[in-house]
Amino acid sequence: MKNTLWKALGILLLAYVFAITFLVPLGPGLLEFQNVERVISSSTENRSVPEYQLIGYGTHWDDDPDALQVFVKSKSQLAALEVIRVDDANHATVGLTLPYSLPAKSWNVLINHPIDGTLLLENGLFLSDRFIDAQATWPAPSFVEHPGNLGFHFPYQPRIIETIRNLMLHVPLWFTMFLLMGIGFVSSIKLLSNPRNQLDDQRAEASVQVGLWFGVLGLLTGSLWARFTWGAWWVDDPQLNGALVTVLVYSGYMVLRQAVEDERLRSRLSAVYNLFAFVILVILLMVLPRFSESLHPGKGGNPGFNTYDLNSALRAVFYPAIIGWMLLGIWMYLVTLRMKRVNRQIELLP
Amino acid sequence: MMFILLQTNPLEGWFIGSGKAYVVVGVACVIFIGMAWWLLRAENRLSKMEELLNSKKNAPSD
Amino acid sequence: MSERMSRSSAWSRYRFLTAHAFRMEWRQKHGLAGLLLFALASVYACYQVAGGRASSETWNALAWVVLMFSAFNAVAKPWPEDSEAMRKYLKTTLRPGEWILARMTFYSAILSALSVLIFLSFTLFLGSEHFNPRQGLSFLLGLECTALAFASLLSVLSAIASRAGAGFGLTAVLGLPLIIPIVLISTRYGTDILKGILWIDTAHHLLFLAALTGGIGALGFILFPYLWRD
Repeated sequence: MKNTLWKALGILLLAYVFAITFLVPLGPGLLEFQNVERVISSSTENRSVPEYQLIGYGTHWDDDPDALQVFVKSKSQLAALEVIRVDDANHATVGLTLPYSLPAKSWNVLINHPIDGTLLLENGLFLSDRFIDAQATWPAPSFVEHPGNLGFHFPYQPRIIETIRNLMLHVPLWFTMFLLMGIGFVSSIKLLSNPRNQLDDQRAEASVQVGLWFGVLGLLTGSLWARFTWGAWWVDDPQLNGALVTVLVYSGYMVLRQAVEDERLRSRLSAVYNLFAFVILVILLMVLPRFSESLHPGKGGNPGFNTYDLNSALRAVFYPAIIGWMLLGIWMYLVTLRMKRVNRQIELLP
Repeated sequence: MMFILLQTNPLEGWFIGSGKAYVVVGVACVIFIGMAWWLLRAENRLSKMEELLNSKKNAPSD
Repeated sequence: MSERMSRSSAWSRYRFLTAHAFRMEWRQKHGLAGLLLFALASVYACYQVAGGRASSETWNALAWVVLMFSAFNAVAKPWPEDSEAMRKYLKTTLRPGEWILARMTFYSAILSALSVLIFLSFTLFLGSEHFNPRQGLSFLLGLECTALAFASLLSVLSAIASRAGAGFGLTAVLGLPLIIPIVLISTRYGTDILKGILWIDTAHHLLFLAALTGGIGALGFILFPYLWRD
């Protein structure tokens, strides 16, 4: 009973993870703020202003078009822009009502809306034809950060957008591989300290075999993600190189096992190699990426996601995902191990 | 990519609004249930084989 | 030989083994000549492929690749101790850890000499216009550190492969993935040096290499007795 309980738990957790991961909508965000090459005369100021189009993703501007406010911000200087019209839920036309002399060229675009809340487009506006005067200031308009009024959703992140869902697959798959390779590492140490126990050899082999599957899946999901966010299926990056090398090193482990005939010798040689492989794995995936520049999230420090990138909605799925994948991995490992033992017993039959 | 994103139903977004999410969930569930089923079946068969092996061990006359 | 060794200290046994390795190598001169020929021929092949017009990136990449393959070539030759009978005999007279340390020392010396040779022939054939003497020395220092890391890793791997009885093919299969981290660090260092980055700003790569060498050497020293066991 106890034995089936954790398996059922793993399956249920993963079912929950899949359902939430793919069915919860993404929160709103700003895609672009672009000049539409048109000049209109503003109603408030009696002169012509350039017209910009603001494009949102998953926003609800037409539900309450009058409440949409657009601001630009550079350091502490804030300015309100005039919303000329709201075209639909995620297109709005904005007049660039800014004075000629500005404190900076590059501006963040901010919007406020009762449903979507406060959204930010970093460096959304770049003005090269204005006079730059670092001292230029004007009275700031009233601006209150708005939490928004939306149901459960995943946070919008620029460039990642909908692929944030991959977080629940890619990262836990690698964690599970770590766990399995760790089991292999411990089994190998145990085997070397007590070479008579061939069960430890089977443990090491089974865990590496299953762990390799998780590693390959981690590579594939990572490759998909790289294609979307970085534009290439593979990029030269310490974290990615480390991941590939890890999979290659453990493939070498499987090759080594095939190469040795004698069982005792095989268990010992592969255990020694496995210890090397695990040390290299730790160096490659946990040490080196912290010391080199990386495109991978959390560059120059933590090779995972930064904590502030994980909001409560993501956490509600991410932690169950880790546990679910790990339980599945352990289950697969146990089945593989039993298969090996039965196979061996059959071989030993008279 | 952006082009596709901009064209779609704004209220539900591209992924869920276009119905692709349900296809993905469906495929994932099929793979997933298939795997769980396979693992359970493998365990059952292994249990049977282990029993068989144990009975053979206990009956050396065979 | 066994009389002398069984009574001696670990240090003197280690020294004897290292000297013995060199003596054996010196007696069979075709081994050393083969190494030199392999290194020179690869450098010349690179010269023919890239020509004197090699950019600094190409220069850097080819130098590391040549060093890597020369290192694999250097560990390819089987040792007399790899035979079953010899191993059983040696086990009674000395500890396996001493033997692997001697072997690492021997390979370190061979590969250090080889890396100097590769560097010199690279400057001869592929030109030295990409760096000034100071950068050249820094690059050579990187080559030396890499050679030491290669030596410690490959002596363990070739021991595993020879114990498995599978020969050189297995050394390459096991060694190539494991050697990639070292090559990655070394190429970063080389690129930085040839870019003109100050030595002190990229010296942490050498520290990494030294740490790797030490770590692999220690791991090999601890684990090697398990390989020799029957």
